Amino acid sequence: MNRLEALRDLIEEALDEVDGVVGLRSSSGYVAPHLFREREELHQLAVSPKYALPTTLRLIQTAHPEAKLGIVCRGCEERGLIEMAKRNQINLDHIAVIGLACTAEEAEECRCAKPYPSVLVDSHVGERVEPVADKLAEELRQKGVPERLDFWLSQFNKCIKCYGCRNACPQCFCPECTLEEELWVERGRVPPPFPSFHLIRAMHTVGKCVGCRECELSCPAHIPLTTLYTLIRQEVGEMFGYEPGVALEDEPPLVLPMEVES
Amino acid sequence: MMYEPKIVAYACTYCSYPGADLAGTSRIKYSPNVNIIRVLCSGRVSPELILRTFREGADGVLVLGCHFGDCHFINGNHRTAKRIPVLQRVLEFSGIEPERLRLEWVSASEGERFAQIVDEFTETVRELAPMRQVLA
Repeated sequence: MNRLEALRDLIEEALDEVDGVVGLRSSSGYVAPHLFREREELHQLAVSPKYALPTTLRLIQTAHPEAKLGIVCRGCEERGLIEMAKRNQINLDHIAVIGLACTAEEAEECRCAKPYPSVLVDSHVGERVEPVADKLAEELRQKGVPERLDFWLSQFNKCIKCYGCRNACPQCFCPECTLEEELWVERGRVPPPFPSFHLIRAMHTVGKCVGCRECELSCPAHIPLTTLYTLIRQEVGEMFGYEPGVALEDEPPLVLPMEVES
Repeated sequence: MMYEPKIVAYACTYCSYPGADLAGTSRIKYSPNVNIIRVLCSGRVSPELILRTFREGADGVLVLGCHFGDCHFINGNHRTAKRIPVLQRVLEFSGIEPERLRLEWVSASEGERFAQIVDEFTETVRELAPMRQVLA
């Protein structure tokens, strides 16, 4: 039985308990998020390409706070759900999670640090595969500061300021975005002047970014944003011992006061 | 090449700004490269503000706040103490020397210390290339 069939069976079972399951639907050759409510629709179920389902779930739950919802959840999406729940963006009590492990190729493509869910679910569809290290991040670590600047300037100069990275990010849910404020990011300049736009976004992902690579996938200029955020995430992990999306109890470090002896 | 670096210091109004004031009234000489901007708390200095300061051409940014326990807002400086090291790493990863940004605690009675920090920081930044050249 392949992943798709196994997943379909699980969703069919889950539909007894919940009002609908958020998953991917393939229709007329296009794959898009869909709220499956009827068993008859399930023949259109798809597993790839990856899509930011937690965002879809959040939007549905905001409109229908009482609805019981299921979600097809990869490793990154699970981490995203945990971070969103910490910030009161979703209510996990009303959510049934259906785990889906990524294949080795998918994990490789995403340079994923944990390509399977394990916190919100006990089991998942598909085999667990090994985590993949971000080679570009390692390469950049070895480089000196001026070479890094050359690299990132060449990347950021491709930016067309479409805000795709922010729009696709499951962790970007502020009603008003700093990146749209004239004070911090000048209007009408493409590419946006370094270091304002990209580094403001990088700072805002601290303690939130779970490395789901949605920003990078949505970027029309193919800027390796996930690599920058991965470097930061690793560093913050070392500094504060905090890894986003690992446990519901861990509190984000930047909003807490320091523990100081007085 | 020697150049005169432009340095912006964000000093909190309760400790560090009076500290800088004391340096002045005590006639302590310190580097004229520093431009002091008074903020209500060092916790007010957001990463956006620092990044914009760099973008506008500052070669170094000093953030000065109260010592732990002295903050007028109880733990405003705790936020700064966590945020600035993270921003330093972000700068480092994206190719701006982290030495350009420094966080120090200066109390209202530490005029000497203020002058010493400013002098030291100016010399550190002088070694680095001008920011306008870096971002050009």
